[in-house]
Amino acid sequence: MTLVLSVALGLLTVTITQQTLVNQREESISGRAVGNAAIVDAALGSSTDTQAVLSSLSDAGKASVVSVGQDGRPVSVSVDQRFGVDVLPRQLKDQVVDVRNPAIMRFELDGQTLVAVGVPLGTAASGYFEIYRLDDITTGLRSLIVSLAVATFLTTVAAGVLGYWASGLTLRPLARISEAAEAVAVGQLDTRIDERDYASDRDLAPLAMNFNAMVDALQERIDRDTRFASDVSHELRSPLTTLNASIHVLVNNRDEMPERAQHALDLLDADVDRFTQLVEDLLEISRFDAGAVRFEPEELAIVPLVHATVANLGYPHVEVESDTELDQLVISCDKRRLVRILANFLHNADRYADGPTRVWIERHDPDPFNPFDELTVRIGVEDSGPGVPLDERERIFDRFNRGDQGGSRGADIGVGLGLALAAEHASLQGGRVWVEDRTDGGEGACFVVELPFVDLEDVLISDDLAAATPEATGMLTLTGEHAIITPHEASPGGTA
Amino acid sequence: MGENGPVATRILTVEDDERIRTSVKLALEDEGWRVTEAGTGEEAITAFAEEAADVVLIDIMLPGMDGFEVCRSIRRQSDVPIVMVTARADTHDVVAGLEAGADDYLTKPFAPKELSARIRALLRRARPVVSGNPKLIFGSLEVIPQEGVVTMNGQPVHLTKTEFRLLVELANHPGTVFSREELLDKVWSHGVDGDSRLVDVHVRRLRTKVESDPANPQHVVTVRGLGYKLQP
Repeated sequence: MTLVLSVALGLLTVTITQQTLVNQREESISGRAVGNAAIVDAALGSSTDTQAVLSSLSDAGKASVVSVGQDGRPVSVSVDQRFGVDVLPRQLKDQVVDVRNPAIMRFELDGQTLVAVGVPLGTAASGYFEIYRLDDITTGLRSLIVSLAVATFLTTVAAGVLGYWASGLTLRPLARISEAAEAVAVGQLDTRIDERDYASDRDLAPLAMNFNAMVDALQERIDRDTRFASDVSHELRSPLTTLNASIHVLVNNRDEMPERAQHALDLLDADVDRFTQLVEDLLEISRFDAGAVRFEPEELAIVPLVHATVANLGYPHVEVESDTELDQLVISCDKRRLVRILANFLHNADRYADGPTRVWIERHDPDPFNPFDELTVRIGVEDSGPGVPLDERERIFDRFNRGDQGGSRGADIGVGLGLALAAEHASLQGGRVWVEDRTDGGEGACFVVELPFVDLEDVLISDDLAAATPEATGMLTLTGEHAIITPHEASPGGTA
Repeated sequence: MGENGPVATRILTVEDDERIRTSVKLALEDEGWRVTEAGTGEEAITAFAEEAADVVLIDIMLPGMDGFEVCRSIRRQSDVPIVMVTARADTHDVVAGLEAGADDYLTKPFAPKELSARIRALLRRARPVVSGNPKLIFGSLEVIPQEGVVTMNGQPVHLTKTEFRLLVELANHPGTVFSREELLDKVWSHGVDGDSRLVDVHVRRLRTKVESDPANPQHVVTVRGLGYKLQP
């Protein structure tokens, strides 16, 4: 924009200058030519020596020519031999000699711009002509154009740089604060702004200071919440440990108790289990709320993990189906959380249906027409219970929501935090959970967990953390071990 | 009672909460173990010096000398299996406990049966050699499973029982890749939901002892995405 404006201004300047210079030149030329013509006219009456007459003329121009035509008098005498009558445009000669009007005309000759002035002389059919070169003006204009172009360019560049610098001076500090705010938003609570950078700015200094104060307060609050959760955790876990250990002793000696005491012990045993689970779930969810959870990914062969989890959790009879191409599939996920999700789905099927009937694992290829659809791995747990009505399907993942079965609790009772936790466990690793109809159309529900498919090549590859020296283990403490590689070839399951 | 051997295995429990300590003692005794109690880290060190236990159970949160310090102190003088007990399953506590030399960990509240199973697994001897060859040689590293001896360049290497079992497990099938889950099962008798960090930290500990350059292991190598193997 600036450039366009500068160029336009430059062009205008050049045009006006050119016009002015040419006009001035033409005025002076024609004034002088008229004077000279009068002298020539008078002289021609008394003398025949045209050359002498011409020499006496004021000769400020570059070249002048006298042409006296058609009556036998000398036709052309030129001070500057380069130009003779023959170069005069016919139009001009006609105008002056025949029409007998003084005239001025600009024309091109061999690439030069010339201007010729003609004045009719007293004698019929003759005229006085002067021819000038306008080269000096053209050259002058050319250098003016060059200077203007250079000036325009330099001004534009200088203006751009200056503008960028000036706007940066104002906006860069704001951009830094904005970046810091973004960092805090994604959980980097140690982000601070260096207040010294803003000390000189009366407007921004308080902003920087308040920003830091805000993040301090936020961090302190989160630390306090986390600490509180941790303290509560300790305070609740300690008596539960005593309860569990003591009940274990009682259960071991159950046979020696009277029947009524045995009954009471069974109730106590079951409810301490339930209470323990409730405390575990509450502590877990409070860690999510306090922002104290950490995604600890590791590389897992997903199919064997699901098989082993299902069998280990007491469902060895439940079929786990997957394509054989998935057998070697390794994804990066948080094993503990995935196992918790699966355990929750399986136990849920136990509580509200007649136990899980089938577990499947599949690779979900993205829909090419949906840019938000991604390559994922889905694991479904199906049961043959009453299913989940459409309007309940989102609500059952809310905390303490037991769905319609809430009222009809049997002896085996859940707590209502499990599905909410499953949702949290999944979203922490970029996945999600939902419930849908069974894939085979049979009656029952299918609980699905979807995890992002992270190709090993895409996983952040740090050094082999297990090889880290003891000094470097501080990092391991924070990140857990993941994405381990060595240059050695893999030989899955085979013996070398 | 007493089914865990002709002379009952002795467990030293270090726990500052008296009620927990007493109830755990009762439960463990019910499982057939002999239990010695210590209320502080200092007491535990003294008790261990007087009579070495077969297994040590250490609560991390102790007044004064904390659980990590007790663990390091006992580890300096003995390869006895150590189980850390924590009220938090935070990565920090778990890894720090394992780094301090613990063999396994449990989160409160735990089922005494689970604790018993862990202890039994830690007390198991290394599996017998499958090849029949009593001496397994991998370059400068030599393992004699029957005698519990490991040497590097002819120098004896001191391993804890668990590190040794892990090494023998890998050494029995050189070149075979073991997943973390397999190793958890074979070495710790943990199920699939066992904590992979146990394996990772133990591999790291093992490397500092049997590798000349632990950062660039030649014997115990990681197979990306799959697990670990012993380079034949």
